[in-house]
Amino acid sequence: MKRGIIHGLLPLLLPYCALFCAGLTLTLAQSLGFFLPLGSGEVTLEHYQTLIQDQGIRQSLGLSLSVAFFSAAGSVLGGTVLALALWRMPPGLRRVGVVSKVGLILPHVAVAFLVLLMLSRTGLVSSVLFQLGIISAPEEFPNILHTGSGLGMILAFLLKGVPFALLLIGAVLFGFDVRLIQTARMLGAGPLRTFWSVTLPRLLPAMHSAFIILFLYAFGSFDIPFVLGESHPGMLSIRVFDIFFQRDLSQRPQAMAILTLMFVFAAVFAMLYNRFAAYLDGWRRKL
Amino acid sequence: MRVIFFLSLFLALTAGCSEAPQEESVLRQDYASLENLARGTEVRWHMWGGSAQINQWVDTYVAGEMKRLYDISVTRVPMDAPVFVNKLLTEKAAGKNTGTMDLLWINGENFKNAMQAGVLFGPFADRLPNFTAWYDPQKSAHDFGFPVNGFEAPYGRAQFVFEYDTERTPVPPATLAELADWIRANPGRFTYPQPPDFTGSAFLRQIFYATTGGHEQYMDGFNPDLYAKNAPLAFAWLSELGPYLWQEGRTYPKDAAALDTLFARGEIDMAMSYHPAHAQMKILEKTYPDTAKTFVLAEGAIFNTHFTAIPFNAPNKAGAMVLANFLMSPEAQLSKFKPENWGDLPALEIAKLDEEKRRAFDAVDLGAATLGADALSAAAVPEIASEYLELLERDWDKIILGH
Amino acid sequence: MRHAPTIIILALLFLLPVGVLIMQAGAPGWRFPELMPELTFDGLCFIAARPGPFLTALASSLGYSLVTVAVTLAMTILPAQVLAFRTFPGKNLLEGLLLLPALVPAMTFSMGLHFIFIKIGLADTTPGVILVLSMISYPYMLRALTTGYTLMGREYAVCARNLGASKRRVFLEVELPQLLPAMAAGASVVFLVAFSEYFLVFLIGGGSVASFTGYLFPLITSSNRGLGALVTLVFLAVPIVLFVVLELGLYRYHRKRWMR
Repeated sequence: MKRGIIHGLLPLLLPYCALFCAGLTLTLAQSLGFFLPLGSGEVTLEHYQTLIQDQGIRQSLGLSLSVAFFSAAGSVLGGTVLALALWRMPPGLRRVGVVSKVGLILPHVAVAFLVLLMLSRTGLVSSVLFQLGIISAPEEFPNILHTGSGLGMILAFLLKGVPFALLLIGAVLFGFDVRLIQTARMLGAGPLRTFWSVTLPRLLPAMHSAFIILFLYAFGSFDIPFVLGESHPGMLSIRVFDIFFQRDLSQRPQAMAILTLMFVFAAVFAMLYNRFAAYLDGWRRKL
Repeated sequence: MRVIFFLSLFLALTAGCSEAPQEESVLRQDYASLENLARGTEVRWHMWGGSAQINQWVDTYVAGEMKRLYDISVTRVPMDAPVFVNKLLTEKAAGKNTGTMDLLWINGENFKNAMQAGVLFGPFADRLPNFTAWYDPQKSAHDFGFPVNGFEAPYGRAQFVFEYDTERTPVPPATLAELADWIRANPGRFTYPQPPDFTGSAFLRQIFYATTGGHEQYMDGFNPDLYAKNAPLAFAWLSELGPYLWQEGRTYPKDAAALDTLFARGEIDMAMSYHPAHAQMKILEKTYPDTAKTFVLAEGAIFNTHFTAIPFNAPNKAGAMVLANFLMSPEAQLSKFKPENWGDLPALEIAKLDEEKRRAFDAVDLGAATLGADALSAAAVPEIASEYLELLERDWDKIILGH
Repeated sequence: MRHAPTIIILALLFLLPVGVLIMQAGAPGWRFPELMPELTFDGLCFIAARPGPFLTALASSLGYSLVTVAVTLAMTILPAQVLAFRTFPGKNLLEGLLLLPALVPAMTFSMGLHFIFIKIGLADTTPGVILVLSMISYPYMLRALTTGYTLMGREYAVCARNLGASKRRVFLEVELPQLLPAMAAGASVVFLVAFSEYFLVFLIGGGSVASFTGYLFPLITSSNRGLGALVTLVFLAVPIVLFVVLELGLYRYHRKRWMR
């Protein structure tokens, strides 16, 4: 029987090991000093040490984490609210929700482009405000894209993230058994209580999934930060790109070290988050 | 089953380990036989793809003529110079002796890095008939102070200019001091692309020359003490003006294209380009306003020559040499010179041409936005050794950005 | 009407951008503060004049994305069955590990993989690109198929085997039709992920593999926004057209089966 299992898993496990694991191993190896393009040196942890001491890298890490957090949280919140709003609609009208697929279909570079078009100081929203007489010059328009906090990137991630969260949460919501809600109401619970105790718990798994996926995606994303990123601090992925493609080869182990740390963070985060979510759920039940 | 598996694995592993093809024989053949050898082949040309105008010229004129004259199909691949040099370095270290790039558009520190790593093929320039016929070997003997030795073929010339809009700025600044005053008087309306972008880096060098008393002192090769003494002046100038720049100097446009966009959309009032006819090209493209013009500072405007080169592992070296030769021909240089195509200054010696061709070059109207040849050559100062460049870029990151 | 706010928000977030793109595509010189710029066809003419690179990039992206769908399907169909119907120690851990490639930043393993690919000659080739894209997108197909198998249950297959059908016949005529919706869902996601990917194609393809995102990228930051908007609209249109074709195909397939 066991052989059947392994036989069935083989078409996936082979490429998984040969490509994913091998790629990761080489990244790790190069960060330690092996298999470098310029010939192997000795094993060394010095690249990690330089990284940890580098203040610029710490700032980039901080930016990547905060952009990822706000865009993921915002997307999940926005997606949930939209899903609930759509759920309340009569089924015929609910069809309008399909326009949100635009956000899903557009590639990330295009979404970044849209943010540029609409929200730059000489962009569309600014033009509208000018025509309405609210502002009289481009400089008066708030400096959304260049605040140093990555707001432009967060907005672009939201535009892609909200439809994604809507999809995941909507799948649960629209398959929901309405009788549960009716029962709760019949037993005298108010709308808020019903939501908190009946609807929300069933949505939580989808919300957590969406959060993890969106958070980790924004953390390591390249496309949007490349278009909307600012000079300082840059996102971690852009730093890696910079070192890998535009500096000399001797700095490559540093890029590999950053990547290894990013991988470890992502894997640990995914594992720990599930435990944390279960803990939060227990806390919520006590309320 | 197992045999087949291991056999295919073995074949896959050895696929990348072929010996260096063509190398010696190509250099020993005469040019006419190279043309025959390259007939019906494909040449992949990797070059910076950030200008739709240049891309179009290559895709239509160059590709068309190469097909018509030599039956060679040219495929343009957009790739920045640091990226393809990096790629070559990695390929060489990995032992990949047959690459995918045939011809490169390259110059400056990228050329130097490539030469020092030994990833270029050559010397080949002197084997090209157009080079011996129309070019002055002295003028293309050095690239940012580094000896070329025939590993690059001249392609065009460029000079650094500033761009402005006469409607917003009727009188542009004429000297560095006037530029500083203008920046202070117009806070938030000036910026430059973030080095190591090519144009941003060139602006750094302009400021370096202008704040430290000119270019002559640097012409003898790299002098670390001189750099240590003079660089602080340039960075002091830049830091002091930082708060008056766009976004208070906290952030800079990613590259020259982003800078153009800011200028075209009216978010800043000045731009810059290492290409004198760039403003005219943008006006023709209808992205710049018609009132855009260019100016240079009295302290000088850097000029350089840009080149084409062939990677060590180019699969089609004969074809690459034919293409490099064609690009140096009077016809190609003339077409490149016209602003509706590109407006890039010719690299050949116009004096060597016959009467009719010389008149054709003189007749090219670079447009109202481009400075005349006399103004440009009066201000022309040569490029600096690339060691200075790399140090300037690195220190800019540290001092201005705080990386 | 109490649903108005929702509709307005949906329209602002998703329809307005499309409208903006259409207008920008027709008006490359659109500057602040015009709201109604003059329309020209420069962008369209530019592409119509030299459709070569545009079409090559589009065809290449379509090609490798579709092949990626096929590859991920082949990779995950058997494992999905195992994961849906069998239990074994460590199954949860394995499922978690198998989902990792879609979660961790693609850069982390692709840059190491790039070096390996150079050594074995897969760098700068389309098969190399397809392999990498399959790696980051197979989890979606795996999930979809596992769910599909779980929902289907084993009874149909057991029944058919009892009636004497061969394994192949069981798969083709009993399981496959029931899996089609799940396959379609997985295929849609895999296709979108592969079609929209820029960085991996740039890294592994090295400029030799044309990609539509690679065609779009330089246009985004340039000052020629009309062309960028035009290409973005094509990016929007292609998956929509494909999905419509897929839906129509599935619909007709199901109709034929019910007709039998």
